[in-house]
Amino acid sequence: MDVQTLTYLIVGATFALYIGIAIWSRAGSTKEFYVAGGGVHPVVNGMATAADWMSAASFISLAGIVSFVGYDGSVYLMGWTGGYVLLALCMAPYLRKFGKFTVPDFIGDRYYSQTARTVAVICAIFICFTYIAGQMRGVGVVFSRFLEVEVDTGVYIGMAVVFFYAVLGGMKGITYTQVAQYCVLIFAFMVPAIFISVMMTGHILPQVGFGAELVDAAGNGTGVYLLDKLDGLSAELGFSQYTEGSKAMVDVFFITGALMFGTAGLPHVIVRFFTVPRVKDARLSAGWALVFIAIMYTTIPALAAFSRVNMIETINGPDSTGVAYETAPEWIKNWEKTGLIAWDDKNNDGKISYANGDSNEMTIDRDIMVLATPEIASLPAWVIALVAAGGLAAALSTSAGLLLVISTSVSHDLLKKNFMPDISDKKELMYARIAAALGIVMAGYFGINPPGFVAAVVAIAFGLAAASLFPAIIMGIFSKTINKEGAISGMLVGLLFTAGYIVYFKFVNVGANTPDNWLFGISPEGIGMMGMFVNFIVAFAVSKVTGAVPQDVVDMVESIRFPQGAGEAQDH
Amino acid sequence: MNASELQPIEQFLQTHAPFDVLSTALIARCAREMTIGYYAKASAFVEFDPVNPKLYLVRSGAFEVRDPQGVLVDRVAEGECFGFSTLLSGEKVVNKVAILEDGLVYHIPQALFTDLRSQNRQFDTFFTRAFAQRLRNEHKFKAKDLTTTSRITNLMSQTPISIEANASVQQAAKLMRDHRVSSVLVLHDQQLVGILTDRDLRNRVLAEGLDGQASVDKVMTKQPQTVASNALVFEAMLLMSEHNIHHLPVVDNQQAKGMITSTDILRSQSSQPLLLIGEIDRQASIERLIHVSKQIPVLLQNLISADARAEEIGRVLTSVTDALTRRLIVLNQQLLGKAPMAFCWLAFGSQGRQDQVACSDQDNGLLLAHEPDEFAAAYFDKLTHAVCKGLDQCGYIYCPGDIMAQNPQWRLSLQQWQQKFKKWVMSPEPKALMHASIFFDMRAVFGPQTLFDELQDSVMSHTKDNDIFLAGMAGNSLQQTPPLGFFRKFVLERDGSEVKGMDLKHKGSALINDIARVYALSAGIKEVNTAKRIRALMDANIINRKDALNLADAHEFIAHMRLANQGYQANHNLVVSNYLKPQDLSSLLRHQLRDAFKVVHDAQSGLKLKFTRSF
Amino acid sequence: MVNHLWLKSRFWLDSLSKQQGSHERHLIEYQQSLTQQFTRTIYDADLMAIDLEMTGLDPMKDQIISIGLVPISKGTIPLVKAQHLMISIDGSVGQSATVHGIVDHQLQDALPVDAAMEWLLKATQGHILVAHHAPMDMAFIQQSLQNVFGQRLLLPFIDTLMIEKSRYLRQHGQLVEGCVRLGQSRERYHLPVYAGHNALIDAIACAELFLAQVSALGGSTQIKCHELVGLSK
Repeated sequence: MDVQTLTYLIVGATFALYIGIAIWSRAGSTKEFYVAGGGVHPVVNGMATAADWMSAASFISLAGIVSFVGYDGSVYLMGWTGGYVLLALCMAPYLRKFGKFTVPDFIGDRYYSQTARTVAVICAIFICFTYIAGQMRGVGVVFSRFLEVEVDTGVYIGMAVVFFYAVLGGMKGITYTQVAQYCVLIFAFMVPAIFISVMMTGHILPQVGFGAELVDAAGNGTGVYLLDKLDGLSAELGFSQYTEGSKAMVDVFFITGALMFGTAGLPHVIVRFFTVPRVKDARLSAGWALVFIAIMYTTIPALAAFSRVNMIETINGPDSTGVAYETAPEWIKNWEKTGLIAWDDKNNDGKISYANGDSNEMTIDRDIMVLATPEIASLPAWVIALVAAGGLAAALSTSAGLLLVISTSVSHDLLKKNFMPDISDKKELMYARIAAALGIVMAGYFGINPPGFVAAVVAIAFGLAAASLFPAIIMGIFSKTINKEGAISGMLVGLLFTAGYIVYFKFVNVGANTPDNWLFGISPEGIGMMGMFVNFIVAFAVSKVTGAVPQDVVDMVESIRFPQGAGEAQDH
Repeated sequence: MNASELQPIEQFLQTHAPFDVLSTALIARCAREMTIGYYAKASAFVEFDPVNPKLYLVRSGAFEVRDPQGVLVDRVAEGECFGFSTLLSGEKVVNKVAILEDGLVYHIPQALFTDLRSQNRQFDTFFTRAFAQRLRNEHKFKAKDLTTTSRITNLMSQTPISIEANASVQQAAKLMRDHRVSSVLVLHDQQLVGILTDRDLRNRVLAEGLDGQASVDKVMTKQPQTVASNALVFEAMLLMSEHNIHHLPVVDNQQAKGMITSTDILRSQSSQPLLLIGEIDRQASIERLIHVSKQIPVLLQNLISADARAEEIGRVLTSVTDALTRRLIVLNQQLLGKAPMAFCWLAFGSQGRQDQVACSDQDNGLLLAHEPDEFAAAYFDKLTHAVCKGLDQCGYIYCPGDIMAQNPQWRLSLQQWQQKFKKWVMSPEPKALMHASIFFDMRAVFGPQTLFDELQDSVMSHTKDNDIFLAGMAGNSLQQTPPLGFFRKFVLERDGSEVKGMDLKHKGSALINDIARVYALSAGIKEVNTAKRIRALMDANIINRKDALNLADAHEFIAHMRLANQGYQANHNLVVSNYLKPQDLSSLLRHQLRDAFKVVHDAQSGLKLKFTRSF
Repeated sequence: MVNHLWLKSRFWLDSLSKQQGSHERHLIEYQQSLTQQFTRTIYDADLMAIDLEMTGLDPMKDQIISIGLVPISKGTIPLVKAQHLMISIDGSVGQSATVHGIVDHQLQDALPVDAAMEWLLKATQGHILVAHHAPMDMAFIQQSLQNVFGQRLLLPFIDTLMIEKSRYLRQHGQLVEGCVRLGQSRERYHLPVYAGHNALIDAIACAELFLAQVSALGGSTQIKCHELVGLSK
């Protein structure tokens, strides 16, 4: 069977699985399950959280970035992992005690202000849009390759699939669907990584293979370590050394920070901590989620390195002079159809070659790396198909969660609470669906006209979250002096500062996007952290000059941080 | 042509209010001047003639009146009218009448309608009342007063004792003795010709010195007053007092159907709620209370046959339970002595919500002012055991889940209760949520209200705006859905091959109770009765007015169907259950039930969207 | 179809107008009044439901005892225009009383048959007749006309039984014993059961059935008369 047929089969089978689970759980059997089992097991919930967490950005794009930019790409790994820990440990338990289901609700109540709530809602919607745009691009890449269409067409198809899945299908939000999606995506990610690791280093675990020496076809050690080989190749082709960063320390620090604090302010993951009835279980499932996320995140650098070596070797050939276009590997031809790989025969030698600088003839979109890796390594067709299913699983689970946040925020928080307090249930539901559809359309637009690569787009979402929501939440929990004026102005200034900075360098004056022009040498990806500081400062300053926080809110904050007797009650 | 030639049409008029009050001549005239129209479902709405407004009397089929906003105003079935609002107000037609089922409709022209009203006061009152009702925008299931709406059929002796007119007085007396009745019907050629009562035997046989061989037709009361089986009990009472008699033969189409006596009516009235509660309060011993409680099932049957609102039935039955509980506490305290501290007797679940029906079990608890010492603990242990036992003997069986005051787990001080509720709110595990659905519907049946208020206030302060807990509650209540499948078809439950039907309680009423509870807890509304909760939520603008009215209607309708079904089951010696088989319903009721379930479904979607943030 | 019906009635008229007499003039007027109805819709046409009670089923031997008439106009049945006529007969109603419930003494103040026929022509003039199992009723009317005026008419009629028959066949494939009787047919449209049984009630019952049938066929404004009309000579 060819790759395309297999892709249809495997993607179809995974969808059948999700639908099957949705029907099964609707048939009411979960009721008995819940009561009998006393709720969802933390391991299960951990997997579901991990599926929410690992988006198309993690699955498709992260390894690509690491693969292409080497060490610098690891800021994403560090930022996201750190953010998760921050969220799980420092914020979720407090928010939970506050009894609020969504971040805007927390902010609205803590700052006793409908305006604060509305600002938070707008921030949340803005962030979710950006995030979904990244997902759309990821889905588009998957479809474009496997249906052999242009990437734009791929995005359109992806929009239709996500719309069906999230708005019509009734499959989202069901814990066991998420679990299935995690299983599909982690399996799809690990299988090619293990295959290649065994082929290249003889080690089954890619994490071990990453630091091991390479083996030849017969399985004998060659004495060359993978990373050394990669450094050698990079140097040879004019790239900076793979294991060394090119970014300034301050920039790395700020990007990591923006990602980390942005993660903690992301609205759709935090909900997962509240669907577990007991605080103890919530902590356990957060821990399990970290384990499940780690399985993938620790594999990413290895996979990135493997595929980089493979890619360079298959393009430039054994003698590093390039191969003739006619005899070029199959994967290059396949991906050329999507428009994500282009060959420009600058020296007219009829050979393809890849290098840094003017002699480079290949334009390769980073986002294809994970998807193309099995092909580059000539793995069996079913592995390639499996990766497609994994990419879709990652994109679907995340975008469904985000779309729910957008649509319910628009219908409930914006429309019902601000403009149409007397709206009927049916109308509210209708507006929610319309908002979801609009969300998909807008995200699709940005997926087709991306301001950057998937991971970079997503990074902007995180930056915005870090600059707006995160400080408001942290100050809400840990400060008794920040009042509503402070919080609102802080959020607005933080958001505008960050968005303005990004828009200027990414859209308005793209040419000026160099470290020399950056504020303190901080790239647009990292400015979110700066926005966070701005937010903090503005909030404190404004709160100082405006009125004090009402006593009942002070009491509330105090009771969140020092709960009397609640610990005893909660651990039953 | 003479009038009787339209007899089937006249007969229809004669048997349907308010036309039944018209004289024969007026009925004949009415029949003559009507036109007949046919309305097909395919044309969706009834087209009104703006120039010649008419009264529409439905002969067959089913219709729905909706106001311009689409809110349901009335459902009209066979024998009912629409179009009177326009005739009475003179304003132009604004409501739309949807055709639910093909049907024949009699059109009564305005001139005729006006004439009939001027000729008959009762006829006029009927419509002005109906119109006023519409204006008040009352729910379509109108409250009906028990005494005035209960019908003869439910009270009369079903097998009439009768004797031939030429039989002897002695034979009659023997028959009366054997059947222990005070009167017999006297028949000739199957026709009722008179009745013979104890009084006749005394006044016309013994006092006159006649012997036992005298024939019955000589001494009977000839051409007695009679009453039709579908007449109101109220009318029978009126007849009896007007003519100073105690026996009324029940006659339909010249056929004797049975007999109703003043004793029957008195007996039916003693199971009136107020009388029953008064009686409960007078009983001085637990044995007597148990005896009195035997009337509760009769009361339920009477209320059902009186077609009372389900909500009212629930409230009435619950107030009886409350009275019984209070009396049991008072009687037992007389035995045990004064309580060592203030306490409240708490009612949970259906008693808390005031929607008790047949075969309820007890759900109760005890709220103590403070931690009891050993002596107090022993006192309350004894008291609660005695009261729970008494309730069990009165027909409120022990709670299978042991949620009873006699269980020390549910006999707690104020502080302990507060802790308990807080725990449920803070960790909404499945078991806590299950408890929540019972315990959050609580009411103090006995004891100082201030003590109870203190508990309720603290509970509300935890639940109000606690989105995580409310999401758990909402999620829990969404586990069950109304029995509607694709294309709005009913989904029936099966037990093996046997079709059980639809569970109107767990897949109907309980869902609405759940929905109302989640909203009420989210808004800090203290009402526990579902209808009151919905009303309060509507007034507080938490539920959209239309949604709230629809939900209240659906709640009433489903509960009503459940009660009517149970009444039917009880009357036909079937096992009383919550299961209804849709094939037992008329197509109009099926349609209404489907609508009611649709409302529940929509309300669930709203709940899901608002509280669990998904759809 | 229109032309065909119209032509037929023209020919009939021509043949009638050749014989000149007061009866004939009557009949000509009657016939002329009908021709314009064919092209109208059921809603706009003047229709008249009719039912006869007879002493038996043979038009040659048996006689009409009573006639029930009720018009159908604008999709409604105005009862105020309903009429019921008894006809005096030769001899006794005999066994047929068990069917129609008319006993001899009720026929005492009935009209003689010639007056009755004049009454009928006047009452139904300009209306297309609607009856259940119409050919039977038509045969009796034609025979009576023949006896009274020595002349038959070209009577257009609508037969609710035929409508029901084709509808039933379309839905079920084959007929079942009794399935298209008036009572059974009405039941299928959820029309009420009438306890009484006389020519007028049956005419009303037939009119109601017709309204139901027409709305099932697509509505009274959608169907034209000639689509349903048959002719009786």
